[in-house]
Parts: sequence; C-alpha cells; structure tokens
Amino acid sequence: MSYVDAGYAIALATLFVYAVTLVLRRRRWERALQMSEPGVEPEGAPAHGEAS
Amino acid sequence: MWHDAVLVAGKDLRIEARARVALWQVVPFAVLVLVLLAFAIGPDQASLRHAAPGIFWVALLFSTVLAIQRSVAVESGEGTRDGLRLSGIDPAGIFLGKAAAVGLQLLVLQLVLWAGITFLFDVRVHVVWLAVTASLLATVGLACAGVLYGALSAGLRVRDTLLPLLVLPVLAPVLLAGSKAWEAALNGNAASGGQWLKILIPFAVIYLVVGVVLYGPLQEAA
Amino acid sequence: MSALTVARRPRWLTVVGVLGVVALGFTVWLGLWITPPDRFQGNLARLLYIHPAIATVALYWVGLVAAGGSLLYLWPRTRSFFWDRLAAASVEVGAVFAALTLVTGALWGRPVWGVWWTWDARLTSTALLLLLEIGYLALRRVPAEPAIRARRCAVAALLIAIDIPIVHFSVDWWNTLHQGGTFIDPGFQIHASPSMSWTFLLGFIAFSLIFVWLLGVRYQVEVLQDAVGDQELEVSLSERWSEDTDLVGASASTPAPTTGGAAP
Repeated sequence: MSYVDAGYAIALATLFVYAVTLVLRRRRWERALQMSEPGVEPEGAPAHGEAS
Repeated sequence: MWHDAVLVAGKDLRIEARARVALWQVVPFAVLVLVLLAFAIGPDQASLRHAAPGIFWVALLFSTVLAIQRSVAVESGEGTRDGLRLSGIDPAGIFLGKAAAVGLQLLVLQLVLWAGITFLFDVRVHVVWLAVTASLLATVGLACAGVLYGALSAGLRVRDTLLPLLVLPVLAPVLLAGSKAWEAALNGNAASGGQWLKILIPFAVIYLVVGVVLYGPLQEAA
Repeated sequence: MSALTVARRPRWLTVVGVLGVVALGFTVWLGLWITPPDRFQGNLARLLYIHPAIATVALYWVGLVAAGGSLLYLWPRTRSFFWDRLAAASVEVGAVFAALTLVTGALWGRPVWGVWWTWDARLTSTALLLLLEIGYLALRRVPAEPAIRARRCAVAALLIAIDIPIVHFSVDWWNTLHQGGTFIDPGFQIHASPSMSWTFLLGFIAFSLIFVWLLGVRYQVEVLQDAVGDQELEVSLSERWSEDTDLVGASASTPAPTTGGAAP
C-alpha cells in the first residue's frame, strides 16, 4: 500500500469511525434523557412537565 | 497475599478504566516531555537521535511520578485508607496489587513513548530483546519503589512537592542504566548493553522485597 | 428541559452532512484516480488534496469557533451556554482533525524528506495544539457547575488560541537561527493543472462541510449531556425534598440548590 493510499484510508476511516461514535453517543444520551424525564419517573417527583 | 494483590490491582485498574486519568493525562504529559526536551536540545537531527534514549527515560520517570501520585490519590478520600487497613487485606498484598496496577500503566506508557521517539526522533530499536528486558525490569523497579514512596508521602499535605523530591533520586539508577541499555539497543550494540541489566535486576528485586516488607508498617505509621 | 426540544434534529445539519459526504466522495475519486500525477511529486501530490484541507480545518476553522465561542461566552452581552458548548464541541472535533493533520503530513513527509517527522514550525505547532486540546478536554471532564466550567474552559481555549501563534513563531525562529535560513520548504511545488486545482478546492469544501456536520452532532451531544445532568439533579433534589417533608420535626438540612445549567 502506498503512502497516498494509507493517508486517504486513515483519514476517511478515522472520520467515519468518529462520526459513528458521535451518532451513537447522541442516541445514548437521547435515550438517557427520555428515561430521566420527570413524567416517566414512577416515584412522583413533584416537578412535572417542562423543567425550567 | 497473592489473592489480595489481585483484588487490589483489579480495583485500581477498574478505577482507572472508569476515570481514564492515566490515559488522557499521564500519556499526553509523557509526549509533552518528549516535545519539550526536543525544544531544549535543538532542531539538529543528529543531536536528537543521540539524545533519544535519555529523553525516553526522563519522560518515563516524570510520568511515573504522576502515575504514583494518581495511585495514592485514588485512596485519599476520607477514611479510604483506614477502610483499606481495617478490611483485613494483607498490606503486602495491597503493595503488590498497587505496584502491579502502576506497572501495567507504565508498560502502556513505555509503548507510547517508544512509538513517540521512533516517530519524533527518527530512531529504531535494533536489539529488541535488550530494550524489552530493560523496560520490563525497570518497570518492576519503578512501580515498587514508586508505590513505596507514595505510601511514605501519603496523607501529607505537601505530598505533591515532596513525592518527586523523594522518589526521583531513588529512581536515578534506573534512568542511568535504562538510558545506556536503550542506547545500546538503538545502536545495535547488544554486548555492551547487557551489562546495564546488572543494575536493573538488583534494583527491581530489592524494591520488590523491601516494599513487601515495609508497606504494612508504613501504613500503620501513617 | 424536555427531550423534545433538546433532541430536535435540524434539517440543515443533515443536509450539510450529506453534501459533505458527497463532496468527499468526489474528492477521493478525483484525487486518487482522475487527476494526473504531479510533474515533480508524482502520485505523492495526491495527499495534497486532503492534507492542507484537513490542516485548515484543524487550525483555522476550529480556532475560529473555539476562540470566538469562548470570547462570546465571556462577553456579558452575548453570554450564553450555546457558545460554551459550541466551543467545547469544536475542541474535540479539532483534536481529531489535528491528529489527522499530523498523520497525513507525516505520510507525505516520509517519502519526501526520508523522515516521519521534522521539527519545523507548522508540524510542531500542530503537535502542541493537539496536546493542548487534550488538556482542554481533560479540564472539561472535571465535574463542576456549568457556569464555572464554562468560564474555566473559555479562558483555557483563549489561552490556547493565544499560545499557538507564539509557539509557531518561536519554533520558526529556533529553526531559522539553527539553519541560517528557512529549514524546510514544504515543497508545495506542483504544476497545477485545472483538474488538480478544482479537486484541491473541492477537498477544502468537503472537509469544511464534514467539520460543520461533526461540530453540529457533537454540539447536540453536549446539550443532551447537560440536559440529562440537569434532569438527574432535579429528580434527586425533589426526591430529597419529599424525604424532608415526610420526616416529622427532623432537623435534616436541605441540600443547597445549585445554580444549574440555564437553557442555552
């Protein structure tokens, strides 16, 4: 593999992997947010609905 | 004792895996030392190549101090050390466990530093067994001496400035022998390099034994 | 903060992402196959379709967003967590691009100069930038109140922005005095045919678009993280308060309410 091929491969692969990790992180935190919503919590926290 | 050591090593490594301080702080620090020393030595490629083994070991030593401080800090919470003592775990086991955890981090650090000097200073290890042996022996010595001195300075308010002052002179033989061994490994000079192992072996053995024996009493005294 | 408002995914971001990928695809296709090899550097010049573009993102776009965002956060008139989060997001994305700059630069330099690394001003500054960015990210992870963290990180980012030109200048001088002249000519000697110029430009556009998309997603992650943190704090606070009201005549101290993260 030439230096050029290696360069392109590394650049593209790194950006792709990073993009994937970002999307996965976003999904994980979205899910975490939905789970910790006051409306979802069984032990009724007095504050319901939109927190400030 | 061995079982306790594995327990403690596992605990320390798990904490590190969660906090990732060694990965994101100590490793970049080590690379930083490489860069700063390159600045100090100057842009002449030949000088840098010549100084590479020394730079490797200096960076390793400074990073070891950080790793030790981190190892001590992990138990600096209120009553954590007392809890550890009262838990009935063999203090020698604690020592071995902590030293093993630190040793593992130092090994990873050395891999990064090896890549660093290869990349930044344009050197190549020609006598691999020599470099690897020296590194492994040194790691044992560094970890054992480091954890021991860490325990010495634990709980002291001046710990952060005292620990480097106490431990770095003690580690100087490792710096000396390690640099020479690696210099030989980089130059392909196996014969002359091997003799430096004669310093690294006793150092490792002595601090391993001393640590096992003295760690318990040290904890009691703290 | 409801999940609905936070998790909203703006359409334009997706469009930017798609455009970026398409542009990148064309850049790679043109760069690797369609364009001719350079007269001086041969096929090695193909790396110049991506390396300078990546470097521009890492140094200039990231610098602009991180420093600009930090300034705008610190300035009372424009203070908003939006700028803080944007700056933080750009530093992480910037670290990735800085690392790629070094790697692609080294891969280009190895066949040209025979070494993976030279201590010239550009490479060295980029290396130091990467280290500084890692430090910033470590600082960011230290738990703190959002306002304190934001202020701390904003100052850190500005210091980095000030420092890098100083480092670049010093290293340049360091090299010049040693060599008695410019140390390394980056060797941008290429005779650019039209297809090469267009590919070069396309590369810049592609990586810039990719940067914007990555920045956008990373920003969303930052917002979500803070929102979850706030939510968990609210829940635990309200649980604690309901505990207190259950205890008759108990002298339990109420937890001091922290000034949590305001809406961006």
